[in-house]
Amino acid sequence: MQSFLNWLDARTDYRQLLAPIRMRVLPAGPRWAYSTASCLLWLFIVQLVTGLLLMLSYSPSTTTAWASVHFIEQTAAGHFLRGVHHFTSHALIILCGVHVVRVLLARAFQAPRELLWITGLLMFPLMLVWAISGNPLSGGLSGVSQIEVEGHIIGSTPWVGPLIQRILIGGEEAGHLTLTHLYFLHVGLLPLLVIGLLLFHIGQVIRHGLSVAELGGPQDDVSRWSAPNLTHLIAAHTSPLPPPRLKYYPYQTVRNMTVVTVVLGIISAIAGMHGAPLDAPADPTLPHTPRPEWYFRSLFELRRYFVGDWEFVATIIIPGAVLGFFVLFPMLNRKCSPRVSLIHRALVLLVGVGAWIGLTGMSYLRDWNDAEYLASSAETEALSARARDLADRSLLPPEGAITLLRDDPKTQGPLLFARHCASCHSHADASGQGMVASEPSAPNLHGFGTAAWISGKLDPQRIVSEHYFGKTKFTEGDMVSKIKELFDGIEEAEAAKMRDDLKLVAQALSAEAALPRAAAADHDAQAPIVTGRELLSGRLACTDCHKFRDQGELGSAPDLTAYGSREWLLGMIGNPQHERFYSGDRNDRMPAFAEDTEHPERNLLSPRELNLLVDWLRGDWYEPPTTSIPAQRRNATLAGN
Amino acid sequence: MRRRTLLKWISGCLATLCASVVGIPGVSFVLQALRKSGSDGDRVRRVARLKDLPVGKPVAVPILSAREDAWTVHPDEVLGRVWLVRRKPDAKVGAESIPQIVAFSATCPHLGCAIQHDAKENRFQCPCHRALFGLDGERVAAKTGVQKNPSPRAMDLLDCRLVTDETTQEVWVEVTFQKFEQGLTKKVLKA
Ligand code: FES
Repeated sequence: MQSFLNWLDARTDYRQLLAPIRMRVLPAGPRWAYSTASCLLWLFIVQLVTGLLLMLSYSPSTTTAWASVHFIEQTAAGHFLRGVHHFTSHALIILCGVHVVRVLLARAFQAPRELLWITGLLMFPLMLVWAISGNPLSGGLSGVSQIEVEGHIIGSTPWVGPLIQRILIGGEEAGHLTLTHLYFLHVGLLPLLVIGLLLFHIGQVIRHGLSVAELGGPQDDVSRWSAPNLTHLIAAHTSPLPPPRLKYYPYQTVRNMTVVTVVLGIISAIAGMHGAPLDAPADPTLPHTPRPEWYFRSLFELRRYFVGDWEFVATIIIPGAVLGFFVLFPMLNRKCSPRVSLIHRALVLLVGVGAWIGLTGMSYLRDWNDAEYLASSAETEALSARARDLADRSLLPPEGAITLLRDDPKTQGPLLFARHCASCHSHADASGQGMVASEPSAPNLHGFGTAAWISGKLDPQRIVSEHYFGKTKFTEGDMVSKIKELFDGIEEAEAAKMRDDLKLVAQALSAEAALPRAAAADHDAQAPIVTGRELLSGRLACTDCHKFRDQGELGSAPDLTAYGSREWLLGMIGNPQHERFYSGDRNDRMPAFAEDTEHPERNLLSPRELNLLVDWLRGDWYEPPTTSIPAQRRNATLAGN
Repeated sequence: MRRRTLLKWISGCLATLCASVVGIPGVSFVLQALRKSGSDGDRVRRVARLKDLPVGKPVAVPILSAREDAWTVHPDEVLGRVWLVRRKPDAKVGAESIPQIVAFSATCPHLGCAIQHDAKENRFQCPCHRALFGLDGERVAAKTGVQKNPSPRAMDLLDCRLVTDETTQEVWVEVTFQKFEQGLTKKVLKA
């Protein structure tokens, strides 16, 4: 080994090259505080490595981005690596802040380290942009709306803004090119820029060594790694003089590594437990209130005070001025005595950190007190969980992840109902949960087709309540009088019997609907269902007005055959005036939503929307099994490895 | 000096630990590509109703299959084609005649072109290098040409059977679709 290293050294001079690192001494001894730099470097490398690995499976386009990220999440390794990549980006930003504060406190920006200070400061905003350019790559709702807002902010900058916005977004609105452009920034341009600055920064560290203040004393030549005294130092090291001051390696290194291990340990614990977030696939038709990342919350708050044409003050002028002030700080601080300088630095720190915390805190407080925002973010979380459940079920169609929620009755049903039905119908359970029409004037459709819902309609009191026919013209109609008639002038015992009979009828009619949620119950209740059917066309004589199977006639009341089934509801909503339902003037105010079968585009509801609405009303949608599939798959992968 | 060695050793261990936190999942992530993807086990398909098959005249049916590609599933892609030949009922069991159906892969055993049916001669023919096959799938020599039959073997026979649909009571032809290596004299299943 040794001879190989000698051989290598003879050809590459690597010992000489590494000398500044290997031989570096710590005149004032090792310190924990020094480890921020080393920790930053480690996390930076972790980002490069995890980022490169994720590129193995990531595909930037609106049809594939979300799907490929979800694909990565399917394996334990992918889930973990993406989590580490996500949380390390946050850790890097926090550590960058800590590092700047430490350098400021140590007055380590003094001559000749101005360039060290400036390159460090320039890297900070680049890191922030680097981090946020990664968010939309998942093709998720919040990431993509963030970049749209950021695009608008850039676009509001005078002169060049609109141009830069178009280049960033890759067109007028977010699409394929937005993702490829951001990908270019995130894995191409920004890494090159930051790595360039970083190499220069590290070169400067080696060149200048630790700062005077960090040494805790007057300028000490030994601490300076200018080329001339390098040889001198190596000589000093090799000569058997009294023990030299502690060397960087391993005395500082062991501290650095301890800190790095702790930080990485925390990151991997969070990554392993939670993983990186993946919200619903971006879709402009889904409701969402965008918010920036925590590190931009202060600017977000600032924007509130500079509205309209003045927005660029908050988004460009103030951040630019702050950065400029910090860049120039060494010059401003140069002539000061140590005491005055300390006061200056303490003031800058207090005002800077105070303002940042104040603005950030205010922004979060505002949101926490904003019920509308809280509801919207809870809704986004529900949509996201739903999208993940649906994606866990099977692979995605070629059109991409956007179809997951677009074709999901559970997601689209309430949106369609709110848009087309809720001006008359409510859809709310007994406790009022759900959608309540502001002025309900038609039956409440929550639970439509279930035995419970139908029982209510067959109850002399409830049929005239606003949940059923109370607010419609049918409150004066034959159905209401018939139900009342059934109970007219009969004894309590007979009334109880009648209620039981009607319950059986309700059960029989509910079986006609064949609701998927009631399949098991229907199966177990064959006997009562048959009795109910007999009552319907027999003793209770429903078929005097209604058609039911081969009994009764169409034309005077809705068909009870397959009542509430998918096909019945499609017909009823499509055209309630059809002779199967309320023909002629017997229809109250219900519009026909899909009357024209030849030209579906002329209808209020497209065939797709109508199907989604009906499936939702019937509770016919996919629900995941209680144990989550990805967890199972992940465990399987772990076992497989 | 011993303290120094210990510290070096600890530093080294911690560095290795930190590197492996990313390194081990990283290697596992890369190796994921080696895992067998997709499910191509089930290739048993109902391809045609028995009553739609004329006796003595081959019918080509496509084998549709969902193709899985990492995160995407392409529904109904054509996996391949199959020639169904219904022969004259020669086996009699009691009074009933048992319809005889044979299924051949339409992929030419020579270089994989799609075998066509030559209606005039009522035989199979590959358009690429003019391999000829009889309705029994065996190679036949061209009547006029000097050329030898380029196909190294007969058309590839596929497993098929008749099944009765439980709800409609219709009789269907069910085929187990497989792919075989081309250019070999023996029938070798494609890996
Ligand atoms: S491929 Fe069919 S004859 Fe050559």
